[in-house]
Amino acid sequence: MNKIIFISIFICLFFYYAAAAEPRYISLAPSTTEILFALGLDNEIAGVSTYCNYPEQAKNKTKVGSFSSPSIEKIISLSPDYIFCTGLEQAPVIAQLRQLNIKVYVADPVSVEELFNTIEEIGQITHKIKEASLLIEKMKSEIEEVSSKVKLIPQEERVKVFIEIWHEPLMTAAKGSVVDELVNLAGGVNIAHDLIRPYCNFSAEKVISLNPQCIILAYMDSQAPLKLVQQRFGWNKIDAVKNGRVFNDIDPDTLLRPGPRITRGLIETYKRLYPGK
Amino acid sequence: MSALLKINNLSGGYYKEDVIRGLSLDVNQGDFLGVIGPNGSGKTTLLRLVTRVLPVKGGEILYKDRNIARMNLKEFCRKVAFVSQDISTGFSFTVMEMVLMGRIPHLKRLQYETMKDIEIAREKLKLTDTLSLKDKRIDELSAGERQRVVIARALAQEPELLFLDEPTSHLDIGHQVQALDLLKKLNRKNNLTIVMILHDLNLASAYSNRIALLDKGIIFKEGSP
Amino acid sequence: MRLKRNLLILLLLLCVAVILGLLKGAVNIPAANLLLKDNQAIFNLRLLRIIAGVLVGSGLAVSGIALQAILRNSLAEPYLLGTSSGAGLAAVSAVILGASRIYMPLAAFLGAALSIIIVYNLARERGAIADKSLILSGVIISVAFSSLIVFLVSLFGNEAMHEMNWWLWGSLQIYDYKLLLLVAFPVILGVCVIYLFAQDLNAISMGEEEAIHLGIDTQNIKKILIFITALITASLICICGIIGFVGLIVPHMMRLIVGPNHKILIPTTCLAASVFIILCDLLSRTLFAPVEIPIGVITAIIGAPVFIILLKKGKRIS
Repeated sequence: MNKIIFISIFICLFFYYAAAAEPRYISLAPSTTEILFALGLDNEIAGVSTYCNYPEQAKNKTKVGSFSSPSIEKIISLSPDYIFCTGLEQAPVIAQLRQLNIKVYVADPVSVEELFNTIEEIGQITHKIKEASLLIEKMKSEIEEVSSKVKLIPQEERVKVFIEIWHEPLMTAAKGSVVDELVNLAGGVNIAHDLIRPYCNFSAEKVISLNPQCIILAYMDSQAPLKLVQQRFGWNKIDAVKNGRVFNDIDPDTLLRPGPRITRGLIETYKRLYPGK
Repeated sequence: MSALLKINNLSGGYYKEDVIRGLSLDVNQGDFLGVIGPNGSGKTTLLRLVTRVLPVKGGEILYKDRNIARMNLKEFCRKVAFVSQDISTGFSFTVMEMVLMGRIPHLKRLQYETMKDIEIAREKLKLTDTLSLKDKRIDELSAGERQRVVIARALAQEPELLFLDEPTSHLDIGHQVQALDLLKKLNRKNNLTIVMILHDLNLASAYSNRIALLDKGIIFKEGSP
Repeated sequence: MRLKRNLLILLLLLCVAVILGLLKGAVNIPAANLLLKDNQAIFNLRLLRIIAGVLVGSGLAVSGIALQAILRNSLAEPYLLGTSSGAGLAAVSAVILGASRIYMPLAAFLGAALSIIIVYNLARERGAIADKSLILSGVIISVAFSSLIVFLVSLFGNEAMHEMNWWLWGSLQIYDYKLLLLVAFPVILGVCVIYLFAQDLNAISMGEEEAIHLGIDTQNIKKILIFITALITASLICICGIIGFVGLIVPHMMRLIVGPNHKILIPTTCLAASVFIILCDLLSRTLFAPVEIPIGVITAIIGAPVFIILLKKGKRIS
């Protein structure tokens, strides 16, 4: 009799600790979700935000709310060990979570270098140090592959690019943003590189006068991108429009989300800037 | 003397309530009719019905044997003018601008006022002793001055029939007499028919040639003072 | 005549504003080179903005005048009847549903039209429009639709938020000149019709009853004018988004300067508002070039203190 009780208690305790041993993470930002999955985590991810749509498995995870206003209740109910979010819009949420003594990791990489640091740190927190190194190595080599090709292109032949983040109001990205760095790495010259903020409104006049050879639309629209831009009054004189080099088929998430897919974005950008090289 | 205005069995009021019920009254050309009645008897409502602010629910109002509801509004306002008791200010027009608005019934939509219109306005301002105020803004005037300006505006319409709703309520005694004297003079010399709502029976008797007593929506009694 | 003198001064100011608007911009082009073929695209862009500015300025300011007269309220402005939030809601919904941006102007117009229809019907009592009901319904619908917008944006974030930015603060950057021409018709027509009703507006602004006593058919005229201001406002929102304060501040200022007689007020306000908008647009383009500040921000920054000064001056405002 005593033996049976002892074994039952042991089994219960075993399961309890087994369950408790598996860490539970919540990601409030699509970029960090992608990083977590890329590190090989899946079951450990207890909850994500409604915007987390990549990879496929992310869509099936429990949703804890939107990007800017996640449900604290829901988060608590999932008993997370660690929460991963970004710094900007989520600042008030972070403050609340810290007050409840929940561990929060804030990731806000604005450059590729910082992104690597973020991946490393997330690897340390989630005990996936090896996977993190592997991921970083893989990304570095993909970037290197493109960089080496870019080195072969002389400065005069570098393509001038206009990155259109949004159409009305006309918004672009400048230095201090990941997409600007990607364009640079892909051998392009961002005509709006030297602006005061990483993302800001831009003057159409300036685009026309700087005459980019290539326009990348970082948003989705059902209309053919060339047609969209061609119809704009005065834009048909721009080289990019004259030569039909207006692209919206690079997944904006691979350009704008600081995550493992930026290398994909980089390669696609390079392909369009220097087709056939 | 023919009946200028015939009110036959008039009923009307606000929403479901008929304040005026089956009222009949004849106003003859050249009359100076004083309408007296206690509060709530429907004096203002009656004027609102006659000046086409309120719709007529029953009966009819005839001006020179024409149903006023079928007359063109501007044409009607060339014949009939109204001085209301309420003299709240809208935007701050000048006195001259306000009195000139009395010429609107005589002007086509895009027409600017002519010299003749300006002359008429000046004349009426003089009559009501307000010519000196002509360039002042109406919100700079006292209540009494404003009331005289409103009377001037109504006169500028050059009506045949003039309705007034307690026109002397804001005036001091001196100006009251002056205004009523003016009206009496216009009534006699220019044959201006006047219907005036008054509180004061004495004042009414002194100036009117006929008095109508209004109570609970009907004419109670009428005749000469 | 004083009117002629005022008009001449304003016309002169307008010419100055137009010239400045053409000369200055995000790209520095010396005056001599402006008309060169190379710079034609930029010159045309600026010209387009100026034309849009004149339309927006006159349209919104004159609509503001008409509403202020009808409602006898100096705080009335073109977006009072819910057109702005209706347009914004329609635009955000269109973005969320994935419609291409070429349908944005149409969506905005329909949204504005829908809200005015709702507001109008809410305010109607037995076929007559009560002023207070109109203002109340306008405010209620504005608030309701604005809340819906916030709701949708919170659910569908990113793209909806970008779109909102444009609607909330407006822009004279016109891409589609054909749309501008299309919109110019109802706006110019509307402004002319309102001017035709100047006499009626004078009378109505004194009081509903007073106007009737002067022979003005107030109910029908109010309906016509509400429809026209809605048409002007909806058309302008289509191409320029929401630009606040013009329809409120410029009529006020002009009323202080030239008086409330609408026959003088309307043409002078058209010119003054055009000057105001063109200059605001100039600032929006050049203050932090090549970054463009939304024009609604500039009109608000200038408009708010001006409004406070006007309120304090008090005396001539009813």
